[in-house]
Amino acid sequence: MFVARSIAADHKDLIHDVSYDFHGRRMATCSSDQSVKVWDKSESGEWHCTASWKTHSGSVWRVTWAHPEFGQVLASCSFDRTAAVWEEIVGESNDKQRGQSHWIKRTTLVDSRTSVTDVKFAPKHMGLMLTTCSADGVVRVYEAPDVMNLSQWSLQHEISCKLSCSCISWNPSSSRAHPPMIAVGSDDSNVMYGGKVQIYEYNDNTRKYAKAETLMTVTDAVHDIAFSPNLGRSFHVLAIATKDVRIFKLVPLRKESSSTGPTKFEVQIVAQFDNHNSQVWRVSWNITSTLLASSGDDGCVRLWKANYMDNWKCTGILKGDGSPVNGSSGQPGAMNTMVGSAVQTSQNALNGSAAGRYFFPPLDAPRAGSRYGHLLPPPSLIEHSDAQFSPHSQPLNTLPEHD
Amino acid sequence: MEKMSRVTTALGSSAISGRTMFCHLDAPANAISVCRDATQVVVAGRNIFKIYGLEEEQFVEKLNLRVGRKPSLNFSCADVMWHQMEENLLATAATNGAVVTWNLGKPSRNKQDQLFTEHKRTVNKVCFHPTEVYMLLSGSQDGYMKCFDLRKKESVSTFSGQSESVRDVQFSMKDYFTFAASFENGNVQLWDIRRPDRYERMFTAHTGPVFCCDWHPDDRGWLATGGRDKMVKVWDMTTNRAKEIYCVQTIASVARVKWRPERKWHLATCSMMVDHNIYVWDIRRPFIPFATFEEHKDVTTGIVWRHQHDPYFLLSGSKDSTLYQHMFKDASRPVDRANPEGLCFGLFGDLAFAAKESLISGDANRKPYPGGDRRYPIFFFKKPDLTEQFAHVSSALSVFESSLESKRMDWFVKTARLYLLSGKSFAELCDHNAKVAKELNRPQVSTTWTMLRIMFSDPANLSTPGPNHIGKLGTLPLMNSFSMKEMGMGTESRLDRSKGESRQDNIHLELGNSLINNICPTAENEETEGSEGQAEYMFGDAELDDDDLYSMEHDNQAAEEQEYTLPQEAFPLRHEIMDNPLAPEHLQQDKADSPQASGNEAEVMCLTPIESFSLISISQPLFSPHLPAPFFCPVVREMLSHYAEQGDVQMAVSVLIVLGDRIRKEIDDLTQEHWYMSYIDLLQRFELWNVSNEVIKLSTCSAITCLNQTSTTLHVNCSNCKRPMSNRGWICDRCHQCASVCAVCHHVVKGLFVWCQGCSHGGHLEHVKNWLKSSSHCPAGCGHLCEYT
Repeated sequence: MFVARSIAADHKDLIHDVSYDFHGRRMATCSSDQSVKVWDKSESGEWHCTASWKTHSGSVWRVTWAHPEFGQVLASCSFDRTAAVWEEIVGESNDKQRGQSHWIKRTTLVDSRTSVTDVKFAPKHMGLMLTTCSADGVVRVYEAPDVMNLSQWSLQHEISCKLSCSCISWNPSSSRAHPPMIAVGSDDSNVMYGGKVQIYEYNDNTRKYAKAETLMTVTDAVHDIAFSPNLGRSFHVLAIATKDVRIFKLVPLRKESSSTGPTKFEVQIVAQFDNHNSQVWRVSWNITSTLLASSGDDGCVRLWKANYMDNWKCTGILKGDGSPVNGSSGQPGAMNTMVGSAVQTSQNALNGSAAGRYFFPPLDAPRAGSRYGHLLPPPSLIEHSDAQFSPHSQPLNTLPEHD
Repeated sequence: MEKMSRVTTALGSSAISGRTMFCHLDAPANAISVCRDATQVVVAGRNIFKIYGLEEEQFVEKLNLRVGRKPSLNFSCADVMWHQMEENLLATAATNGAVVTWNLGKPSRNKQDQLFTEHKRTVNKVCFHPTEVYMLLSGSQDGYMKCFDLRKKESVSTFSGQSESVRDVQFSMKDYFTFAASFENGNVQLWDIRRPDRYERMFTAHTGPVFCCDWHPDDRGWLATGGRDKMVKVWDMTTNRAKEIYCVQTIASVARVKWRPERKWHLATCSMMVDHNIYVWDIRRPFIPFATFEEHKDVTTGIVWRHQHDPYFLLSGSKDSTLYQHMFKDASRPVDRANPEGLCFGLFGDLAFAAKESLISGDANRKPYPGGDRRYPIFFFKKPDLTEQFAHVSSALSVFESSLESKRMDWFVKTARLYLLSGKSFAELCDHNAKVAKELNRPQVSTTWTMLRIMFSDPANLSTPGPNHIGKLGTLPLMNSFSMKEMGMGTESRLDRSKGESRQDNIHLELGNSLINNICPTAENEETEGSEGQAEYMFGDAELDDDDLYSMEHDNQAAEEQEYTLPQEAFPLRHEIMDNPLAPEHLQQDKADSPQASGNEAEVMCLTPIESFSLISISQPLFSPHLPAPFFCPVVREMLSHYAEQGDVQMAVSVLIVLGDRIRKEIDDLTQEHWYMSYIDLLQRFELWNVSNEVIKLSTCSAITCLNQTSTTLHVNCSNCKRPMSNRGWICDRCHQCASVCAVCHHVVKGLFVWCQGCSHGGHLEHVKNWLKSSSHCPAGCGHLCEYT
């Protein structure tokens, strides 16, 4: 049950990226029209464009916010081979009266010889660090040694990935047990070149990033990659947008204290969905990493959620223009999936089967159906999901998410 | 017109074919030009002047025009042009200012024909008239343009650019007498070759030098110009004032611009600096190149379409000493790699989504039929589609806001605000938090809290039960009466209460009863043993929890698993019932307390322990012999990890704090720290600064607690002598008095201090607040009428 709020973005070309800030009250969009726009949410929930300015002399591929501790700071990267860092200036100006804020360029990172395809700030606990990746296959890690001075960035690391890079993701885990880690995706379309997702890990001894893992099973072009927020997990979860949506789990294997090499991981693929039936362009995790959203060439956003068994299911489909996806709109595949998942979920509910971890006393056999009808959905689902799974629920001619 | 058709037939009869190919030159190229029938290309540079044959698979060197033992500077070419009508005729612009023509028909090795040395400096450009065989135009760094009649030894006319260097000259396709010239000062001039005295028209096209210009081949009067300002502009020259109709922003200065044959909107550009690629732009979509050729390793210096009516072959020469033939089908299409969608999850579960409009509205390119669209001959079904699709794009931006509370993050915020983490007894905290979770419709979490309380209500902590209990009875007479009633009448009162408290239906209630009855015998036995335990027997609340349990069972999570982890299920059940009776009082009390609770735990602290002890005192005799709390630790540890893995680090941290030492040893420090960090980060995201601070305060990890000690410095002045306090204590070492004493309680204020701006007296926020409720005078007795707003 999502309400779509359409925003007249007024970009003159494709929008390539949208990004929420840390507190979820601001949003930045970037477009091929070489501009970045910043949107602020008003009290009433409306989004207002409070800044729009030309940032690059080429398509702006990505825009990302820094942690607010460092100020209101944006980074953008572009086809024009540069990445730039922007800071909002608060001060007296006529702009303020028009509700426009002023962003000024703090630095331009010009090390790349090719299009800079992604830019990401490192997790806050690492300080003010910025990573870029470019079409020539180089990942660069910059650091602002003085967080008060955003115009000084030093190039700390250059990692050569050999393949044209399209996206990067920092492992957001703040645990000291997890060394800094970057996943890099390549949009090289030659399936012969093997794994398109590489994972690099920082080695404290060598003070370099070293390749820890290549996901050899991902052979098609990767368009987006996202580590899930790690709120106290011992393992990492990585979502990948390629020709389908994939979710990988990386479980660090215990390493001997003496070894200095990169951490070894047990890589498990936990889900793979081709429901988009086309290229998947974006994946994004919610803040608690319980929901994954993906968007593909079919113009739909799909929401994925795991049950307690780590079984991932589609829990919603959102059409880009906000219109409901229903049976008549020619999405038979999606429908089947939804029916399937609904049935399966309810079976799970009925079986209440073996593998779950539970922390309350077992009770007698399931009681009369009389209470069942108005029982709440399972707690594991109810907090985040509106998936209706009751076996008595309506015929699924419309998806419940789109009322 | 006749000529045109001839060319077309030529193209038709000998259709050009080939592939992307290249050859190494001996030296960097400065310019290239093709002959009319597109079979040969001439490459000119400082140290090279060669003609290559364009064959199917390769370039073949046909002729080296650079002959002689010691080639003169005349061979050092800045530009070259092959005549488009006379296939033996070439002209070069030399860097020494010479304009040279070459006749390939000459029998001798040296093909040099004419030599004009009228320019004083480098000639940047030579241009043959498109229809006039003997007319040649040159533009030079010295600021002059000269028109030559190749039948004469000297120039026929000279055009002065007023000492501005000329970068490019181009005869108009449309107008026989007109040519355009571009200058280093950013101007473009239009001249009539019959009037050398004065330009027809001049306009400023770019800021900085205009390196190149090109007339649209389709007689449109369109002129494209490219400059150092990285822009390509298209001008409509048919109007009175030159009008800029399109502007393409490239990423580097534009050295060459060439309209693509047969494609009205396309032009190719290359740069003389930084950027080695060749771009083909659709001027209607000026932001992203339609196609890119990325083969060159150094600056591309010359580009030319192989045939003036064939849009698929592009030739280029470069400083990297290569000559390339690019096939259009091998070009890279940046737009294909460009991401058409943006997607981001917001903090509150809202979802921002931007997508190419054609993706979300039309099914235009959604499901291409495998065999192509049958409406078009298979031959070119793709072409019109591609170009048109390319030109008109826009994105729609929308934000999906979840209307369901469950999907928003409200539960998190509310839970964070309402949970009590300290300031009360363990059992009360658990009960309170269980209730909070329940109210937020999170039965699993609620049950977990209840379970925790049962497991860990620590019997070892027993203090003298008697007085405590009396204290409790005294403070809560209402509760007590309830309890007494309960003791006497058991089921009935239970019924009432459960009805009142939770809307349970009868089935459930009965089940609850039977369950209770099962256990009752033992419970009652023990009850009689315990001194005052019976007073606590209130089943109503037990059922509340039972309710949770039952609903859990329908959950798709497994109930059976429980048996593995908790084989002694009898214990928890029993204890639950034993313990629950206390809950209602806390619930009532919590309601009163919770709003301020997080703010001033200190005060709550001094009120509550009494009650908590009473609870403990009762439970102790029941299970202390059987159930050491550590027994549960592995289970709890696993549970916390489970919650953390499920994304509910809130639960993990809250439990960690509430359990405190009971569990702390069981979980390694790194994990704890990770949980704390994650939770604090989340809280800060939601701007729950108070809660975050409380968590930091309550945490036991040194890495966490030190968060509050970094980058915060408090400078305190003594309130008596008004001097800075140098030491860390609360006593000023100058006047030896306690600084900032509360006017009400006369103790040092170490937290929030509120003072009256009128009389400057003040003290603990709570104290002053309370004081001013009853009195309007200053608590210090100074007589000032203070006001708290």
